[in-house]
This record gives sequence, C-alpha cells and structure tokens, in this order.
Amino acid sequence: MPEEPVVLTQGLKKYYPSRKGEVKAVDGVDLAVRPGEIFGFLGPNGAGKTTTLRVLTTLIPPDDGKAVVAGFDVAKEPGMVRRNIGYVGQNGGSDRPATGRENLVLQGRLYGISPAEAQERAKELINLLDLTEFADRIVHTYSGGQRRRLDVAIGLVNRPRVLFLDEPTTGLDPQNRVNLWTQIEKLRSEGATIFLTTHYLDEADALCDRIAIMDRGKIVSEGSPESLKREVARDCITIGVADWKDNVPRLLEALDERGLALEVTREEERLRLCVKSFAIALPQLMRLLEDLGIALETVELSEANLDDVFLKQTGYSLRDLTPEG
Amino acid sequence: MKILTDTGLLFKRKMLETLRNPIYIIISLSTPVVYLVLFAPLLNKLVGVKGFTQGQVLNVFIPGLLVIIAFLGGLFVGFTMIDEVKNGVLERMRVTPTSRFALLAGRVLRDLVNVTVVVVIFALIAIPFGFHLEFFGFMVLLLLLAMMLITTSSFGNAMGVILGDEDRYAPIVQGINLPVILLSGMLLPMALAPFWLQVIAHFNPAYYCVVAGRLLAVGRIWEPQVLYAFLFMVPLTVITVAWATRTFRRAVS
Repeated sequence: MPEEPVVLTQGLKKYYPSRKGEVKAVDGVDLAVRPGEIFGFLGPNGAGKTTTLRVLTTLIPPDDGKAVVAGFDVAKEPGMVRRNIGYVGQNGGSDRPATGRENLVLQGRLYGISPAEAQERAKELINLLDLTEFADRIVHTYSGGQRRRLDVAIGLVNRPRVLFLDEPTTGLDPQNRVNLWTQIEKLRSEGATIFLTTHYLDEADALCDRIAIMDRGKIVSEGSPESLKREVARDCITIGVADWKDNVPRLLEALDERGLALEVTREEERLRLCVKSFAIALPQLMRLLEDLGIALETVELSEANLDDVFLKQTGYSLRDLTPEG
Repeated sequence: MKILTDTGLLFKRKMLETLRNPIYIIISLSTPVVYLVLFAPLLNKLVGVKGFTQGQVLNVFIPGLLVIIAFLGGLFVGFTMIDEVKNGVLERMRVTPTSRFALLAGRVLRDLVNVTVVVVIFALIAIPFGFHLEFFGFMVLLLLLAMMLITTSSFGNAMGVILGDEDRYAPIVQGINLPVILLSGMLLPMALAPFWLQVIAHFNPAYYCVVAGRLLAVGRIWEPQVLYAFLFMVPLTVITVAWATRTFRRAVS
C-alpha cells in the first residue's frame, strides 16, 4: 500500500503586493513529501522557500491552490495542522530570558500536555539532543549552536508528524553545522518527517533523501541528490598549466576548435572543463596539451555536484549569489 | 478552558522574567522619584495659584505622576514585544494551538502587576514628603490606572507585532508620549492653560485620569470628574483590547 504523503501541495500560490504590482513569491508549487523522509528545499534567498514554509505551517494563508499537511488542509483546519507539526523558524524562537528546560516545559504545556508529562518530555528531548550540560542555564548565555539545538528540541515537543526547519544551520560555524546535521539524522529514530529549507548545497546533499530546487517561486527540479546529479550527467576536469598567462589563450582557442568540453570556466589560475565523460575526454585533453606543447601542472577530477544541477536548471550558480539576508 | 490556562502559563513566563530581573521595578521608579526630588520643590512657590487650591502641592502633582507611570509603563512594552518578534518567539507560539488572546493577555497581566507594584511603592515613598493618601480613593484610582495600563500595554504590544522594528516604533512612542504628558496637566494644572489648550486637553484620556486622580487621592470618590474619567477609560480600554486581540489573531509579522 503506498503511504499517504505527509505534505501535499497542489498549485500552491502566494502573492505579495508591491509597488511594481504583485510579487509572485510562491507561484504554483506542487509537492509530495513522504512519511519518514528528510526533504530539502534548495534555492537562493528570495526563491520563495520561506514563504512556502510559512504557508505550510499556517503562519500565512495561501492565495490559491491547496496544501494538506499531516492530513489536514492548512486553510480549512489550521488548528489541526498546528497540533501535528513542529516548526523552527530562521530566528529560532526560544525564549532568551528563560532556561532551556523552562522553554521545553512551557511548549509542552501550550500543547495542552499536563505539567508532569511536559517535564518528562523535556527530559527526553534534553537527552535526545544532548542539551544536558546547559539545559538549566538561561538561554541568553547559550552559544549559537547550543541555541539551535534547543530550538529544534522545542519544535519536537509535541511529537510532530512533520518537523519544519527553516534554514537550520544558517549562521553556524562549520563544526556546529555538522553537529546539527548529526542531530537531525538522529531524529529519524523519532519517526518524524523532516522538511527543511537551505541554500547550502552540501547540506542538501549530505542530509536529504529528496530535494526540490526552487527558483523564483517555482520548483524547477525534484528528486534524490543522486538522481538530480545524474540528470546533469557530466564530469568536470579542473587543470592548471605552466606559464598560465601565455598558454591560456592558446589553450582556450584550441579547446573551442576541437569542441572538447561542453563548457569551460576560469577559476583563478585554473580551468574547469565540463565534459560528458572522463573516459573519452581525458585522453583527448592530454593529446591536445601535448600538441600545443603545454605542460600540465595539476589535474583534478570531480563528479557533477548540486551546483551544476542548479546551474543547468536556473541558468545561474548558487555560488555566485551573495546572501541578501 | 484553554484560554485561561494559556493566559496563566504565559503570564507566569513573563512574571518570571520580572522576578529574575527586578531591576525593571527600580528603573520604573527612578523617573517619578527624580520628578519628586528635582521638580516638585519648584511647585511650592505656586501655592495659592489657580489650580493649586487644594492646598497641598504634592497632592496636585503626585496623582499626575501616577497616571504617567501607568501610561508609559504600557507604551514601552512595545519594545520588548519587538525583541520577541525578532527572536521568533511569537512566531514559534503562533504555530502551536495556543489561544491568540492569551498571547496578548499573558503579557498585559504581567505589565499590570509590574505597574501596580511601582505605583504603590511610589505612592508610599511620596507620603513622607507630604503626599496625602486616602485608602478607598486610592483603590478606585488603582482601578483607573489599571485601565490606563491595559490600554497602553495592549497598544504597545500590538504595535510591536505590526511594526516588528524598534526604529519604527520609537518615533510613535515619542510622538504620543510628549503631547499626552503635556496635555494631561500633570506638570502644571490645565486650569492655567488658555482656552484653546484646555479644549485640546479634553481629547486626552490622561487628562481625565489626572483630574480624577487628584480627587481620588484625597478620597473624593463621588465627584462627576471621577465618573467622566471612567466614562472615557472604559470604552477606550475595550476598544484597544479588541483591536490588539484582532492584531494578534491575524499577526502579519
């Protein structure tokens, strides 16, 4: 029996009025998230990821289309949706002048859990997310990583069927990011489905079972990280050559002439060639360099990454974008 | 009764903040105390002047200060609200099935406790300086001040949710604050004012409270001015609370 999706949207739309007319923040999104999976929403800032998430978590009503979360329509039964989801916003949401434990207990009480049960649940979550060390300190004193873990714990208090995480690792240092990834991985054991947004490619790649790439309010591609990369189906060769300044123009010309690479990009003192396959392109490249009498200094082979997928689907690279906040 | 449980929980949460950091009470007391020490002595020379006919200068001045404590006490909570909007606290609670009214009421109740404590302490401080206080009148005055506080605290919290930014709320506080204080007759009785100024003052809720406050402090409960103050404050409180609840319900922050 195929499992019912926990998040299902059909033609979901959200518009915002602006001086230049309407901004289509979410412009016809169709999604189906399966129970138990970690689903990633990947896209640059302003792509509409957060707006979609806010519609799914009942914070704003949709303008058109349908969204069913945990079996309930967000527009018709927001109260039931709220009972069955957890949400961790971009800014967290923990109460700064209270302790971590107080935050967790209060959250439980707001869901209507009895005081004793709320205490018990707080204890469980403190263990699950390794908060023991600082659970009884005031949140003001937490480091960024500690606070993020508390935020996630707060989102889990009601044993949600879906946990929504909006940019969970933004602003964390690399070590804390990896730490949080580990914690999120562990949440699978709680049986929750996780729906997260991110603009980090490595995060989507490392964490998610499935990814939807969003750009300008629309989903441009969807699938597992592997299948998305396969779709692009290309390998990359990055080379560095001797006498860079003199040799590069000749090399570029020759590459162009022989049609050896699908695409060539310059990266500082190196050339990145995207090819259909290493097996065919590499010997050809070697021969070409020999013909031109150019000495090869470094060579690096890499498989397609999600940025290539992104580039192909949207026409621009995620790496080129500076976050606008 | 989820609405009552939630209000209780959220009141407790905010109250705990005050108890952990009672400095708030001291800061709130500092302004009126500075007025009492550095400004009230100037008024002594005015005994007998129009508006000071009640004899005791402090009994003209202190009730006005009490009204202003309640007025400002509520207005400034908007900034705390903005802080919570920015930290995502409000949003986090809006995604739970928490009663929307409780999100507002829990805060307003805490502010009410805080301000009442400050008002009572300050009134007691003023007594040795020569402030006359009659118990039952003071109780009625506390009721009036509670309405003032509920109005401004609901307003401040709702504006905080709507604006979500200190830089946008500060000019509003500034813009309301000064005219309301000046036109309340708190610093100098409005009896000294030219006719046009007196007319404007009659649109200021704080004016009615200050006038009623002076009567109540000396126990004159059954005066028409006291009735006017209640006639002005009751609808104002109801309207503001209703508007603020609506704002919390659909919060666009």
